[in-house]
Amino acid sequence: MTAGLEKRIQLAGILLIVGLLVEAVCLLWARPLAFILLVGLGGFLCVSGIVLYLYSLVSARDLNAER
Amino acid sequence: MHFPTMLLISLIIVTALLISVFVARPAVTATRGGKILAFVVLFLLPLLCMAMGFTSELERSKSTSFCLSCHIMESHGRSLYVDDPSFLAAAHFQNHRVPADQACYTCHTNYAMFGGFRAKMHGLKHVYVQYLGTPPAPEAIKLYYPYNNRECLHCHEGARSFEEGAVHTADPELLPAVKANKMSCLSSGCHQVVHNVRELGKVKFWKGAQ
Repeated sequence: MTAGLEKRIQLAGILLIVGLLVEAVCLLWARPLAFILLVGLGGFLCVSGIVLYLYSLVSARDLNAER
Repeated sequence: MHFPTMLLISLIIVTALLISVFVARPAVTATRGGKILAFVVLFLLPLLCMAMGFTSELERSKSTSFCLSCHIMESHGRSLYVDDPSFLAAAHFQNHRVPADQACYTCHTNYAMFGGFRAKMHGLKHVYVQYLGTPPAPEAIKLYYPYNNRECLHCHEGARSFEEGAVHTADPELLPAVKANKMSCLSSGCHQVVHNVRELGKVKFWKGAQ
């Protein structure tokens, strides 16, 4: 496994953890602003993490094909 | 806190903990089992948490306490406790003609296609005005459009008290006009007293459910 791939998985994980924590805090804080934060910030971080993870899968396949 | 929310927060915490394993040791994904686990933990579980979180928050945004959590809506919230049956919103709320925990949403959504979506978009606009714009005084808050009878008829149409009510049947032209939205239920002389927040200083309040 390459270091670049590991870095991507780590970054994806960090984005997901932060996104999920934002989501958890928003669920505890029942205010309209929490709704915006959950959808805007939490959603953005989680989607970014998922996309980065999927990209790392695709790039790993490319690396294997090159070898 | 509701049990489903607690369950969802537990799921989020477990997911975050599992993800932290991959952050600490990304090499775990080198094995076949690790790859499958990574797909579940880094893709399926976050997706599930996001979907459940969004649904939960969307459902909560229909609650009366959610709508009234903005300072500007306080007087509208107080108007639900006016001890006077001519106050339409209060009479509906106090007699559970609308679900008390979704009182605002029940009357202020529209029962046409995408009505719920439109209500949410209006809600987003309210948040924008609250935090980034200039919120109006509570007495100056107005509806976006004149209130459509369709929202009243959603519950009242076909109900005996509505269809056979003495005032409603006194004039045979009245009910067809109301049903065609040609004459508003909130017309002067009918149900024109709704929230009337300007008058809250002069009225008595019902303490029963507070």
